[in-house]
Amino acid sequence: MWGEIMKVAVLQIEGTNCEEESYAAFKHFNQDVEYVHLNLVKRGKKRLEDYDILFIPGGFSAGDYVRAGSIFAARLKAIAWKELKKFVEDENKRIIGVCNGFQILIELGLLPGVDGISEVPEAALMVNDSNRFECRWVYLRKERDTSFSKEVPELIALPVAHAEGKFFTTSKILEEIEENRQVVFRYVSPSGGKAEYPWNPNGSLNDIAALVNSYGNVMGIMPHPERAFHWYQHPDWTRKKREVGDGYYIFKSLLHHK
Amino acid sequence: MRARELYPGVYEIDILHATDDELMEISESMGLALSMEEMRRLKDFFASLGRNPTDVEIHAIAQGWSEHCSYKSSKKVLRKYIFGIPSKHALIVMQDDAGVVEFDENHAYVFKIESHNHPSAVEPYGGAATGVGGIIRDILNMGAKPIALVDPLFFAPPDYPYEKLNPGIKHPRYLLNGVVAGIRDYGNRVGIPTVAGMTYFHEGFVNNILVNAGCLGIVRKDKIVRSRVDKPSLLLVMVGGRTGRDGIHGVNFASRILGEKSEEERQAVQLGNPILKEPLIHVILEANEMGIIKGMKDLGGGGLGSVVGEMCYSGGVTAEIYLDKVPLKEEGMAPWEIWVSESQERMLLAMEEKDLDRLREICEKWDVEMSMIGKTKEGENLELYWHGKKVLDLPLKFVTAGVEYERPYKIKKVEKMQELPVEPNYREIFLRLLSSFNIGSKEWIIRQYDHEVQGRTVIKPLQGVIGYESHGDAAIIKPLYDSWKGIAITTVANPQLGEIDPYKAALYTVDEAVRNLVSVGARPHSFSDCLNFGNPEKEEIMGEFVESCRGLGEAARFLGIPYVSGNVSFYNEAFGKNIPPTAVLMAVGIIDDIRYAVTSDFKEEGNPIYLVGETKEEMGGSEYYRLIGAKSTTVPEVDLEELRKRSEELLKAMKKGVIRACHDISQGGLAIAAAEMCLGGNIGAELDLAPLGFMRADFKLFSESATRWLCEVQRGKEKEFESIVKARKIGVVSGNTLRVRDDSRWLFNVHLNIMRERWRAALRDYVG
Amino acid sequence: MLKATIIVRYKQGVDDPEGKSIKHSLELLNFKDIQEVRVAKYYEIYLDKPLEEGKREVEEMIRKLLVNPVIHDYEMRVEEL
Repeated sequence: MWGEIMKVAVLQIEGTNCEEESYAAFKHFNQDVEYVHLNLVKRGKKRLEDYDILFIPGGFSAGDYVRAGSIFAARLKAIAWKELKKFVEDENKRIIGVCNGFQILIELGLLPGVDGISEVPEAALMVNDSNRFECRWVYLRKERDTSFSKEVPELIALPVAHAEGKFFTTSKILEEIEENRQVVFRYVSPSGGKAEYPWNPNGSLNDIAALVNSYGNVMGIMPHPERAFHWYQHPDWTRKKREVGDGYYIFKSLLHHK
Repeated sequence: MRARELYPGVYEIDILHATDDELMEISESMGLALSMEEMRRLKDFFASLGRNPTDVEIHAIAQGWSEHCSYKSSKKVLRKYIFGIPSKHALIVMQDDAGVVEFDENHAYVFKIESHNHPSAVEPYGGAATGVGGIIRDILNMGAKPIALVDPLFFAPPDYPYEKLNPGIKHPRYLLNGVVAGIRDYGNRVGIPTVAGMTYFHEGFVNNILVNAGCLGIVRKDKIVRSRVDKPSLLLVMVGGRTGRDGIHGVNFASRILGEKSEEERQAVQLGNPILKEPLIHVILEANEMGIIKGMKDLGGGGLGSVVGEMCYSGGVTAEIYLDKVPLKEEGMAPWEIWVSESQERMLLAMEEKDLDRLREICEKWDVEMSMIGKTKEGENLELYWHGKKVLDLPLKFVTAGVEYERPYKIKKVEKMQELPVEPNYREIFLRLLSSFNIGSKEWIIRQYDHEVQGRTVIKPLQGVIGYESHGDAAIIKPLYDSWKGIAITTVANPQLGEIDPYKAALYTVDEAVRNLVSVGARPHSFSDCLNFGNPEKEEIMGEFVESCRGLGEAARFLGIPYVSGNVSFYNEAFGKNIPPTAVLMAVGIIDDIRYAVTSDFKEEGNPIYLVGETKEEMGGSEYYRLIGAKSTTVPEVDLEELRKRSEELLKAMKKGVIRACHDISQGGLAIAAAEMCLGGNIGAELDLAPLGFMRADFKLFSESATRWLCEVQRGKEKEFESIVKARKIGVVSGNTLRVRDDSRWLFNVHLNIMRERWRAALRDYVG
Repeated sequence: MLKATIIVRYKQGVDDPEGKSIKHSLELLNFKDIQEVRVAKYYEIYLDKPLEEGKREVEEMIRKLLVNPVIHDYEMRVEEL
């Protein structure tokens, strides 16, 4: 709730590399945030249950070898699967994964999470249709108010920077995702219409850019809100005035609404 | 070669009784790349000691004496022109692994640019990646957090005919794709944004591409770590990757000429591992924050040997090293291999014994290996041990101080001439320029590099309306969370001018660096130079080098901008052909408040457009003349006083907020600068060239004369702008076409969509 | 000593952008009549285990890390060296 200070863990392993911006965003709201390396969890020096929010930042965890996010996910599963499940089942706790973090949540089976938690992945974030890493800004339309998006305006711009971001799943699961209204943000054209490449930068099914699980407390998002926290991080600030960056609103939602 | 095994893996080499032929055979068969003169010097030295050297000793000396480590050909010239430009901001200049310059009261920025040419020509992916990794370590070992990367690249044109390639030489398209992928996969994985760079195409790079990489970091002044140790009894601790056979003789390799054999020498290309580097960066920065690092150096070219040598020699101590304590990747490595190996991702730290446990704790958290491998001591002689046996015992000075040459040189005299071609079809030639390799969109490359990670990039390499961005002149980083002060970064080089007149090209390169920084509102602050040249043993090539340095030095000295770090890459020669002289600058500017930064894209319908600077009939080295095949040696002249005045005026006007967009005029001239401003703003413009005076219209449009900018001024502020900046009004932002006339004569009128299509098509079919 | 070889590839019907892009590059190099290029990942894992136990363990590895069943098929072979 407003004014309540939350304990936030920014998880990291080797190759995590957006932790500093993410940390700074929580710090900006005076939250009790700390970096938590998985090795510290493994050695019992830190416990997941001590936190209100787990933030899995972007990067190339373990080099993204095998598949993006899969090694981080496998290690987290081996270290703290039970704790993680408990975390998800507690409605007051939330997990957010950005970019590589989204890939990790999918590999963990926490997303799309149409029935809560799945033991095997039910979707994938595949190699972009363009077959290359792309760093560019995209427009997103908010599809639904959740505790991650309540404060977010209808149309925002955020940067993507990934090689594997194409959301893919079976048609049955895709249907369920839409039925459950789990899509939080979709890629759109600058005017808010249907996105073609490059507005949908990776070929994601149904232009999906961000998802919540069916409980509504785990979100994965490909674009980077932490890199658009301030107005001066937007690429067009010399053309257009803003008070804050569009990513700011996602952190604000996360911290002001439970 | 006569050799005797002293202990397992260690040989005594008989050079005392070797004839000249045998000396050269030793140099050849041991892969030393030393000249006859140097081998004789070696022999004389050991004769004076009255003993033969071990193989470890010979390899150690060869490495210390290599061009790459000793700068034996360039030092005298650099000292004369490049070093010693006075500056009150520069803190550490040309001494350590990177230059350190004051940023604000409590912080300094650290930067350097370096070449990784030969390895990248043989193995583009690994070579380029390793180049990026190496330059990051140079910044890191000053205690700084790396926050920006830049990558100037030089290839032959991507449509170069396959059948014209020399044996063993790879096609530029393959090289371009490999190099970009290498930079991408390394830079993106370590989480440092690649914010600037250039990709330049010229036939002169067909046998020998250039891959330069620069890095900039930020550090609190009280946390700067020197690349030297001046105290005895400090422990030397290796942190990071293990030592393997990769990169053995990379340094000697970089100092030799590429030829057909290069393919087999692929083993000299080191393989970087970004996922080892990323935690290594954390370990170093955390340890530095604790204040336990007393000196540090990264293991780049030359490996452990050159690092221990330079670190101790410059601090006035020496060291003893236990080679058997170095963690290895593979079994059975000989001690000399351990000493010269260039395996990546390794750092050498000097620290006090009491702090060892604290370092160990950090390393354990990040799963990074460390090992104490020796200690510093007083005295003259460096000593290496291998399982308790002494295998090297030499005066450090002899190994490290190397040799210096005063190479003879010859300066080519430039006869001034300029052909006058028939007047072109303006629309056609404009579109051809827009889709030429050097001018066309580099978006495919730029977007593969993450230029946003760390969230500090406040002016991006691509500027304008989202989805329509065009090339900017420089990027701006905001390094500190709680300060509006910013660092602007750009890279510049002009090989096309360099091959005509290296001296004037150097002046022009400094001019362009200043132009780029001023364009975004930054005051030029310091330079790092990467000097890529052919074989210095040829007098004409040495002449090019001398002339380039003279120009670079003269211009920077006049402007009061110091060179704080740099790198020389010689022997860029293959099949008897040398590359065009290519002096690359990584230039850094300071903007006191990033809120006053300016981008290159046109902003608003109705705003007037001004031309700053004088356009002259100087077509030598221009893209226009290259494209139509006309000859000219009349390259642009630089008036440094004009450059200083115009820069000051523009910066003043920007501070007043009257300039909405600014772009420097370089390749392709005024026409291309205007086109890029239209593309980024997704809005047209109308220009009238009459105010430029009496001159051929194609010269007005496509001349690349120095010290010029195009500015979009806020409507209603014309008077204020004109009172500050000496400029001519030549047009207005309007519509959705670029329309250009010379007084009453219309030259062309092209729609934005057509320009964009042609501009984006330039590289499209050659990449991906 | 056991040697396990595992090939992981996209399922039929799942787009393979890497394969498409390589096909495009090959065509640029003047190779004609290419119908399709498909890319797969190949792993060799050496382990010191009895055969049956080793097989079970490799299957576990595949399940836990190497394959995402939504997009991948795989082939596995375990042999004694």
